[in-house]
Amino acid sequence: MFGRHKPLWGKKTRLKSSYDAVIIGGGLHGLATAYFLARDHDLTNVAVIEKRYIGFGGGGRNTAIVRANQRTSQNVPLYKEALALWPVLTRELDYNLMFFNCGNLNLMHSEAAMNAARMNVATAQFHGVESHLIDAKQCKELIPALNISDDITYPILGAMYHPPGGIVRHDAVVWGLAKGAARHGVHIHQQTAVTGIGVANGQIVSVETDRGKIHTPRVLLAAGGYSAAISYHMLGIKLPISVLTIQAMVTQPLKPILNHVVSSGTYHAYANQTLKGEIATGAHMDPWPNYTTQTTAYYIKHQAEALAEMLPCLRGVKFMRHWAGLADMTPDMAPIMDGNAPLKGYFMNCGWGYFGFKSCAAAGKYMARFMATGNCPDMLKPFTLRRFAQHRLMGETAALMSYSPDN
Amino acid sequence: MKRLTHLPTLRIDPSQEIPLKYNRRTYQGVHGDTVATALFANGVRILARSLKYHRPRGLYSLDGECSNTFMQVNAIPNVCTENTLLRRGMTVEAQNVKGTPETDRMGFMDKLDWAMPAGFYYRTLHKPARIWPLALKQVRKAAGLGVIAPDFEMKGKYDEIYPQADVCVIGGGPAGMSAARAAAAQGLRVILLESRPWLGGFFDYRPAEYHDGVPLYRRARELAQRLEETTNVRIFSHTAMVGAYNNNLITAFQQGGPGDHFDERYIEIRAVSVVVATGCIERPLLFENNERPGVMQIGCAHRLARTYGLLPGEQAVFSIGHDLGLEAAIDLFDLGLKVACVADIREDGQDPRLVDELAARKIPFWRGWVATRAHGKKTVTKVSLSTIPGTQQRDFGCDLLVASAGMTPVTGPLTLAQAQLQYDLHTGFFLPAQLPPKVHAAGRLLGLHDALAIEASGHLAGLEAAADCGVSVDADRQRARENLDSRPGPVRGCKLVLAPVKGRKSFICFDEDTTIKNIQQAIAMGFEATELIKRFTTAGTGPGQGGIPGHNLPLFVAQYLGEASVAAQPTVVRAPLVPTFLATYAGSHHDMCKRTPVHDSQKQAGGVMRRIGVWRRARYFSQDFSCREEIVNVRNNVGMLDASTLGKFRIWGPDALQALQRVYVSDMSKVSEGKVKYSAMCNDDGCIIDDGVVVKRGANDYYFTTSTARAGVTGEWFRYHTRYDGWNFSIVNLTDAFGVINLAGPNARQVLEKVADADVSNAAFPYIGYREFTIRDTIPVRAMRLGFVGELSYELHVPSSYMQALWDILAEAGRELNIRNFGVEAQNVLRMEKCHLIIGAESELRTTLHDVGLGFLWDRTKTAAKTVGAVALRQTAEQEGRLKLVGFKMEDPSRTPKDGSLIVDRAIRGYICIARHSFTLEEPVGLALVEAPLNQEGTRLEIFEDECGDRRLYAKVVPTPFYDPEGTRLRI
Repeated sequence: MFGRHKPLWGKKTRLKSSYDAVIIGGGLHGLATAYFLARDHDLTNVAVIEKRYIGFGGGGRNTAIVRANQRTSQNVPLYKEALALWPVLTRELDYNLMFFNCGNLNLMHSEAAMNAARMNVATAQFHGVESHLIDAKQCKELIPALNISDDITYPILGAMYHPPGGIVRHDAVVWGLAKGAARHGVHIHQQTAVTGIGVANGQIVSVETDRGKIHTPRVLLAAGGYSAAISYHMLGIKLPISVLTIQAMVTQPLKPILNHVVSSGTYHAYANQTLKGEIATGAHMDPWPNYTTQTTAYYIKHQAEALAEMLPCLRGVKFMRHWAGLADMTPDMAPIMDGNAPLKGYFMNCGWGYFGFKSCAAAGKYMARFMATGNCPDMLKPFTLRRFAQHRLMGETAALMSYSPDN
Repeated sequence: MKRLTHLPTLRIDPSQEIPLKYNRRTYQGVHGDTVATALFANGVRILARSLKYHRPRGLYSLDGECSNTFMQVNAIPNVCTENTLLRRGMTVEAQNVKGTPETDRMGFMDKLDWAMPAGFYYRTLHKPARIWPLALKQVRKAAGLGVIAPDFEMKGKYDEIYPQADVCVIGGGPAGMSAARAAAAQGLRVILLESRPWLGGFFDYRPAEYHDGVPLYRRARELAQRLEETTNVRIFSHTAMVGAYNNNLITAFQQGGPGDHFDERYIEIRAVSVVVATGCIERPLLFENNERPGVMQIGCAHRLARTYGLLPGEQAVFSIGHDLGLEAAIDLFDLGLKVACVADIREDGQDPRLVDELAARKIPFWRGWVATRAHGKKTVTKVSLSTIPGTQQRDFGCDLLVASAGMTPVTGPLTLAQAQLQYDLHTGFFLPAQLPPKVHAAGRLLGLHDALAIEASGHLAGLEAAADCGVSVDADRQRARENLDSRPGPVRGCKLVLAPVKGRKSFICFDEDTTIKNIQQAIAMGFEATELIKRFTTAGTGPGQGGIPGHNLPLFVAQYLGEASVAAQPTVVRAPLVPTFLATYAGSHHDMCKRTPVHDSQKQAGGVMRRIGVWRRARYFSQDFSCREEIVNVRNNVGMLDASTLGKFRIWGPDALQALQRVYVSDMSKVSEGKVKYSAMCNDDGCIIDDGVVVKRGANDYYFTTSTARAGVTGEWFRYHTRYDGWNFSIVNLTDAFGVINLAGPNARQVLEKVADADVSNAAFPYIGYREFTIRDTIPVRAMRLGFVGELSYELHVPSSYMQALWDILAEAGRELNIRNFGVEAQNVLRMEKCHLIIGAESELRTTLHDVGLGFLWDRTKTAAKTVGAVALRQTAEQEGRLKLVGFKMEDPSRTPKDGSLIVDRAIRGYICIARHSFTLEEPVGLALVEAPLNQEGTRLEIFEDECGDRRLYAKVVPTPFYDPEGTRLRI
């Protein structure tokens, strides 16, 4: 039935001295871009350089939620396409990404929040993405464990219900994309650190690694939380990115109890049940920038307090594992996808914060097109780095971000 | 099953029977039993079925390293019954079985392992695509262990405490107790955490000699008693340490006993220094069917007898790699267990006295032999042993196989404290190469086995911890170190991981049914990093986390990959080290919201309270959420609003004005005494983040207000943006010190006149004036004549303690006018009619001061002030295509659009921030943010509401404000 077990992403290969493109970061976006470069643009002489192992960063640490009910018309179409790609990729990669189309409920706890949610709902509907505002009773019908009584800190008034969303097995995406890229001839070099980027006459010419130098005319920066540091230290290009720790945890596995992704911005908590049966839950970032992946006592307690109110039956369930990852946050909570500026051949796909999982397929597809053709696809134009200098922030969040003190 | 009732080591009271309902039958346990030992005493051997293959599982260890004894207890899923004390009235049920664990109808799954290689679900179930949704349902049903009901209510009391300590000792065994004693002798406050209900660790159940003929268990009780008598040691027993965070923040949870006021409590300890003396668990021996009920670890078998009075079997085979195994074999033999054979993996290195004792009892002792297979369908009936290379083999009939490859140090607390582990060739342990500052390790986890050495190392660690606390202990430390050095050091560890077998049914992780073969498959597929193998095979991701596979997995991978030295790293251990109820983490969970000084009277007056940020505020004063009466009353008469949540600050000092100039966009040098100045603050993008008024109360002394939301951060905002200037000013947050009443409406003056000790006529106290006076000779007020709601109004700031009195005085004075309360929603509509902005409602991240129509506030001449946001304001002043705030009216006035509706053409061009039917203007009006040039007056706006289908509403951009554009109402 399974035959011999063959290496999923090819045998270990030696680092060649020259590639047509080098991708820094063996995470979701790097691997997705590599895959689409090879699939759509015949660019197969590509190296993915990963310092640790593939999926070490956000790819292996996120809570696997996918959705397309973002706030702005620049973002919704991108995420809509990403959402549609999961079944396609499952087939193409011949790797079960385990898309569980359970739908997402984003709970609202005030009249003002309901109104704000209406804007998201209308934006989704305008773009042909299914999303509805529902009241508390309808929430309870969908999630019987939900506490819709008035005697909790933030009574639930209703929710933004987004049926097309759900969860995807995050590790499978990393491995599946690696498999797909390798099948097309892409080299994936794990345990290989980038130490420098060579530039001549305003053009990228090489990437230096701890395993040797690679000549290349194109490099993609897709190193997640480490992108800004690489960009600044190796090229002197400052990116408006603050790196913050974001934490998540799972409970012990249970038989199915939660059939949707449920989240609450007010409680700072979201929860979904993985296919293994664990309740995966997380929330907001730590309120200060740092590069550690350390967890905090405050956070797990807060999470328990929030879930104990929203889903009181979970009081009888135990937390089992708590971890943290890095979120590379831009001032407007939208990513930077840009290229050929300020250096020719230098492409960036970073600043995804905690949205990098749900978007990776579509972002990789368009970044690949950008890198192969040199022309920025319309889909990516709003995500230019220049928007920050022009004070034209994207409205992905209405609220002012306060993760760095100068904001 | 007959108990051994006269052992001095027992922790049960056989005279106190406790009944137990298990799978609808009643059994008898005794006081001190765990649920699992009580069932074991009743002959129940199969306690659960495994997750994937539904293999029978039984007692293996007694410390909860795996889900072998997980059950539903009182409707709570996944309760680890091997260390859950039996209590009266417990109802226990098996989980994840069809039928009972004995007869699980899903047992056939075990034969299907060939169909489920490592990560099989990634490679199957998706072809053709239409089967996935069906398969998904089955996967979900099969996964998970216990069941929780959606309406389940967790009973019990959950407390939380936050003690501080000089030294926190984790582990109440001999090393931990010695450490605690040493630190306490220096007069320090010591906290000792022990996960079992009693102190003693691995001394507690052992009759072997400690020293001078004293048995270990008696020594443990002596140490415990002495510690309990030490007043500066606080002992938390039955307390599992679960987390270690920065700067020695230790979290733990305690299970309450009969006399406690809590069922469980969360404990968060801040300690100066920490001693980790958590000892060892055992490293599972890997062979075929290594988890068959009847196979158990040394400590489990030994403690069953010595602690619970239960002989673990009748006829036993031992396959072990540590002296504790020999000791257990001898002791259990003496207690009546027949021992067919003791096979020791080690060729040499055993304690000769133990070898002699085995010989004296005529127990066959084979060096260099190991178990290769446990036979028996449900429980062990026979064991195959072989030499380490697998050249010779022999079978023994038995019902108990004590199997253990060696010891595994419990280093979890150290890794959580950021220690990096390294493989230690001598012990075979992963041990910290270097300990984090103010963290010490002691005892058995370092590989020590000699009882006196363990105590000596605890003593030394306690002194090291005392030194961290600033106590001078140099001489003592020197002596302690010499004492430790004089004792035997760490023992050589057994290195064998896998018996000479193929490994198809050798389980490296019990919870996830991961076999050695699965690990080999993963490696063949390119997963070589241990972390990746863990993820791909899920080994170590189950309820027991790394308890079973944590040590073996990296060892096996390193050996399998043929690395000469073990370079593999163990996978990362994560908190909570012991799974912990959400109820326990949540603790008593106080809702810490703020109430205004007149909260109660607002509520009594019918206020419908809503949470707004950290506050609770009255949003409505009737069930008519359109607030018609409240609004009409303010427009035509007079109303009162509790505005105490406004941010309120005093800033003073020689450079106070400079600081104001830095953060406010206006020229604040123009703030004059007796007048209020309205201005705004921007961030570096020119985005308006706050607005409010500033008054000058004296030379270099200002009082200002911010929005409710910004009250918490404004102080920091000032300090941050002046951090390089060295300016001399002070700022203090008075938000909670002052309450605010907004007295508003054309009759407001008639009310105030009656009670104020000052002339409040229009001439004496005109619009935008600021006055300080008293009310009724007593209450000092700071009064501002403002007009947020568009009417004559007075904002009265008074010390919080006077708020209720002032409220009552005004209410009394206004009674004949029928004064009434109004709430936040009425204010919202009133100010909207006047087009006064609420930051965050009509502004957002994308909007600058210009965009919301407040660009006039910005003084572009005060460049020297380096006002925050000035650069962006200059750059964006003339930018095209930005979102702009506009007022609109509807083409069809019978319909008010919903808040949050979009403004569209072919694309989305903006959205409605707020729209209400105006009772004053008798038509709907609203504010929207729209992309320029749609903001031009007269532009027709197409409105897209949610669920509107093809229907659209239309509106027109109109001049603002809608109400009283000349502002005459403010000046009457």
